[in-house]
Amino acid sequence: MSFDASAGRAPTPVYLRLTDVVKTYDGRTNAVDGVSLDIRRGEFITFLGPSGSGKTTTLMMIAGFEALNGGSIELDGKDLARSRPYERNIGVVFQNYALFPHMTALRNIEFPLRMRHFPKSDIKKRAEQALALVGLSRFADRHPRELSGGQQQRVALARGLVFDPDLLLLDEPLGALDKNLREQMQVEIKRIHREIGITTIYVTHDQTEAMTMSDRVAVFSGGKLAQVAPPLEVYNRPANRFVGEFIGDSNFFEADVDPKRPGWVDIPAIGPVRVAEDHGRLPSQGTIDLLVRPERIKILTANDGDHMNALDMTIDALVHYGDSVLAIGTSRGRPLRMRVAGTPPAELKEGARLRVGWAPQDAHAVARS
Amino acid sequence: MPLLFAIIATAFLIAPLFIVVPMSFSTSTSFAFPPEGYWLGYYRAYFASEDWLIPTANSIVIAFCAMMVTMLLVIPAAFGFVRHRFAGKAAINLLFLLPLAVPHVVAALGYYGLLSRLGIVGTIFGLIIAETALSMPVSFLVVCAALKGYDRNLERAAMSAGAGPLRTFFWVTLPVLRPGILVAALFAFLQTFNESVVALFIGGRDASTLPKKMFESIRLETDPVIAVVSTLLTGIVVLAFVVPVLFRRKPAYVV
Ligand SMILES: Nc1ncnc2c1ncn2[C@@H]1O[C@H](COP(=O)(O)OP(=O)(O)O)[C@@H](O)[C@H]1O
Ligand SMILES: [Mg+2]
Repeated sequence: MSFDASAGRAPTPVYLRLTDVVKTYDGRTNAVDGVSLDIRRGEFITFLGPSGSGKTTTLMMIAGFEALNGGSIELDGKDLARSRPYERNIGVVFQNYALFPHMTALRNIEFPLRMRHFPKSDIKKRAEQALALVGLSRFADRHPRELSGGQQQRVALARGLVFDPDLLLLDEPLGALDKNLREQMQVEIKRIHREIGITTIYVTHDQTEAMTMSDRVAVFSGGKLAQVAPPLEVYNRPANRFVGEFIGDSNFFEADVDPKRPGWVDIPAIGPVRVAEDHGRLPSQGTIDLLVRPERIKILTANDGDHMNALDMTIDALVHYGDSVLAIGTSRGRPLRMRVAGTPPAELKEGARLRVGWAPQDAHAVARS
Repeated sequence: MPLLFAIIATAFLIAPLFIVVPMSFSTSTSFAFPPEGYWLGYYRAYFASEDWLIPTANSIVIAFCAMMVTMLLVIPAAFGFVRHRFAGKAAINLLFLLPLAVPHVVAALGYYGLLSRLGIVGTIFGLIIAETALSMPVSFLVVCAALKGYDRNLERAAMSAGAGPLRTFFWVTLPVLRPGILVAALFAFLQTFNESVVALFIGGRDASTLPKKMFESIRLETDPVIAVVSTLLTGIVVLAFVVPVLFRRKPAYVV
């Protein structure tokens, strides 16, 4: 099963439409390789993917800084191909802030208003409102070098928003901030998005950020879209093994579909396990990848019915996270990871052999790619 | 240890000042040191003598013009060089830096031949051309370095803010590169102002520069006015470097 392109098409009216977008820098390999995606007005969509998967390139094509080698980008029904970056009405926030070092925070924020010929009386009011929106009114007269990283990022955000753009593009805006500040800024960006409802594309390689902030996540892999779906669906029902492994912790089993025994697949060396019919769109035969998230595996007790898929697990190592424990071990020589929430039970020790298992509906089958 | 070297190096660099500056106030008619007495007579002589003031004016005009021409050539060259890939880039780079490697005497001979064929030996115009060529390498290197350190996302940010290429250049690129450009211009000015070999060869009588006049003054007469000129020049250069530092606001970092 390959990713179904129609899943990227939104049901409600489309605001930004990417159709078969292709970009090559060297003429041999495609940095962006046939990306099609519909984004709704007001949506917060995240581009998630490993480094080099084409997220920034896609964003730069939307902003107009890079030309397309194929396909088209339409904003509100109009083809963007012929409009230059400064003729588009798109706000961009860069990872390294890209604030103008010779201007104060206020001047930076006024800059788009001046360039776009807003009326004089409007400029000061709007810039001050934007500063207030990001909570930096007191810092209007500071130069970028007199501001901390988080404050600079806020100024960049205000500068990207102040002229009421049609779209807001953010390229790993929090990449350079430490963890606490990141979380604070994530909340802030979400609040601002709620307040002004601007259509937002947010690029990140941090899956947690993508999961917590987005209406939908577009997962990039090698210049292609691997999946576009709401965060929970991407997590629970990844379109392929790449997505399942990239997002969250995972156990993947290769398994053979037995055409004569619907509802069962056979994991070599482990044996037959039950799968819920509706949970993975199973092919009628061949090999599939079966995903079981570590937190879906639990230690079995006598009360657990025999509908559970059961395995013997040898615990090799325990990793304590405080709110949970990750048990790393093997079952019949195959690696297995189990996450137990809360206080770990007494029998969960390194070297222990435990009976563990999962419910059929907690596994998700994807076709081999 | 590094501190020791720094002190020794500094001492070597400024030691001559301790001789030249007192000598400029000397009452003696030769370079006797220490001076027998002090007065301002040679300063008066300098400011009253056309023999000194005209070369001074020439030097200022030539250095200023050479600086302007240098910058007008070097800034676009640096943009083309840093931002674009083209065939023969390495060779052109070498060509640009060649004036650094050629001894000035050799360069001066070359310019003499060329400029005399054009009939502009001994003119201010001819000197400006020759001095521009000499000051380009260093200025080019300085502007290239500034440009390499320039974050191109600033230009993208300006464009997404609605500024076209021209406004992006004048509102963002140029102001951000300004420190590098000013340093390059200062180098060009000082290099030309202080250059003596080429000036001696092709300056002639009508385009005599200050270094040429000083050189001749030492050779032909032992005139202490030269100590006055040296002191004035040193004072101006020191001011040029110190004043901007004194007046730069040092902002405090506040979270
Ligand atoms: N300006 C460029 N010139 C040449 N290759 C580039 C350029 N920008 C990106 N690439 C290449 O294109 C691919 C995608 O890069 P990018 O869009 O930056 O990925 P991401 O943002 O997902 O990390 C990478 O292989 C990268 O090396
Ligand atoms: Mg990137």
